[in-house]
Amino acid sequence: MEIDLLDRALLEAHARRDTTELIRLYSLAAEECEAKQDIGAACFFLTQAFVFALESGAEEAFELNQKLADRGRVHRFTSSM
Amino acid sequence: MNKHSVLSSVLSDVNTANGLPNEHYIDPVVFAEEKRSVLFANWSGIGFGKDVPEVGDARPIDFLGMPLLVVRDRDGEIGVFQNTCRHRGMILVDEPKKISGAIRCPYHSWCYDLKGKLRATPHVGGPGQNKHDDVDPNDLGLIRVRSYVWRDVIFVNIDGQAPEFEQAHGHLMARWAEFEQPIFHGGALSSFKLEVKTNWKLAVENFCESYHLPWVHPGLNSYSRLEDHYNIEERDLYSGQGTIVYRQLTDDVGSKMPDFQGLGEKWDQGAEYIAVYPNVLLGVQRDHSFAIVLEPVDQEHTVEHIELYYAAGEQETPEFDELRSLNAQLWKTVFEEDIFVVEGMQKGRHGTLFDGGRFSPVMDGPTHNFHHWVASQVEKGRST
Repeated sequence: MEIDLLDRALLEAHARRDTTELIRLYSLAAEECEAKQDIGAACFFLTQAFVFALESGAEEAFELNQKLADRGRVHRFTSSM
Repeated sequence: MNKHSVLSSVLSDVNTANGLPNEHYIDPVVFAEEKRSVLFANWSGIGFGKDVPEVGDARPIDFLGMPLLVVRDRDGEIGVFQNTCRHRGMILVDEPKKISGAIRCPYHSWCYDLKGKLRATPHVGGPGQNKHDDVDPNDLGLIRVRSYVWRDVIFVNIDGQAPEFEQAHGHLMARWAEFEQPIFHGGALSSFKLEVKTNWKLAVENFCESYHLPWVHPGLNSYSRLEDHYNIEERDLYSGQGTIVYRQLTDDVGSKMPDFQGLGEKWDQGAEYIAVYPNVLLGVQRDHSFAIVLEPVDQEHTVEHIELYYAAGEQETPEFDELRSLNAQLWKTVFEEDIFVVEGMQKGRHGTLFDGGRFSPVMDGPTHNFHHWVASQVEKGRST
């Protein structure tokens, strides 16, 4: 997805408080940054996705935590909440 | 006015005692003192379990300016936390909501689980870096406030110094051990609140004495006369009144609401109404009970939160809907009849020549017992 489109989609998802979409879009943004080897930016977006997943109890929370933990960016969960 | 007037006259025997002086009802400085020494230092009621019925239910409560958060966790237990993020002090939850996963602070998104454990500190070590050596999540969970749920009332001890709840209120719990069984809230009609222009203590005082019944509740005279009531007084613990002529409601065809299980003979026609100091008023009868939490707003305003409970759930027993509704209306009438009294006493406390009043040595024991307890708590606070 193009950056402008992604930005707009994220803003719209924030405005709607659409947590499912926020998790998806931030994860997508992280993937695109990873593809460009921009790990710092990828971890920023992964963090955003992780927090919204954690808040909503989405099953992705555990996996996102593990991804961040693999990069030394978060305390590792031993189980989902 | 002397804000620290000597309370020895309150602490003497009921025959000669005076009531608490005016400043305990009208002075914001003494109100603040009682907040600390009476309400925060003991087990105060703040709400009801029925308002957080499901896992993840979270309800913010402002108790005398203290922001609290009541949460039902994944074990089904009720926890009470200070509703303040450990990061920048932001209020975490500002309206009742369902927490699906974590409690997320709306400011910087620090996240806590339903037991208050800090689970995420996004970007705390810089963008995309969610941990820092100097930020230990084990030290930064939500601050838990001591709480205990009894008869669906959520009690808290804010200062953390009171004896365990079961020790503080064990005498009353034993007295009413027969009622230690499931209770079911009566539904929307069984829940009401009254906003009253009175100091919270006057609502306690009026509740725990029967002296006023023939005058303020004349409807009771035909079947519940003054002589059918008895005083309940346990020094330093609780007080109230009982009746020996409780009469069950019946509908057009003579049906009655189901009884609580296994009650002794005392409760065939007995009922008791007890003030659980400081601010909870409870009543038990064979077929229903009620709980009132007095929310002290300021020295001259109180909200009475009133909830009625039964031996069977409303969904399982729709045939008793009418009786529950009638019962709620009856109680509402009684409690509303008391408003002019507690508001009138509040106005009377502005009479600068009033000396706290003299008690009836026979009829006012429960009220004096409460005054004695409040005075003891205030004195205790002043001595520490």
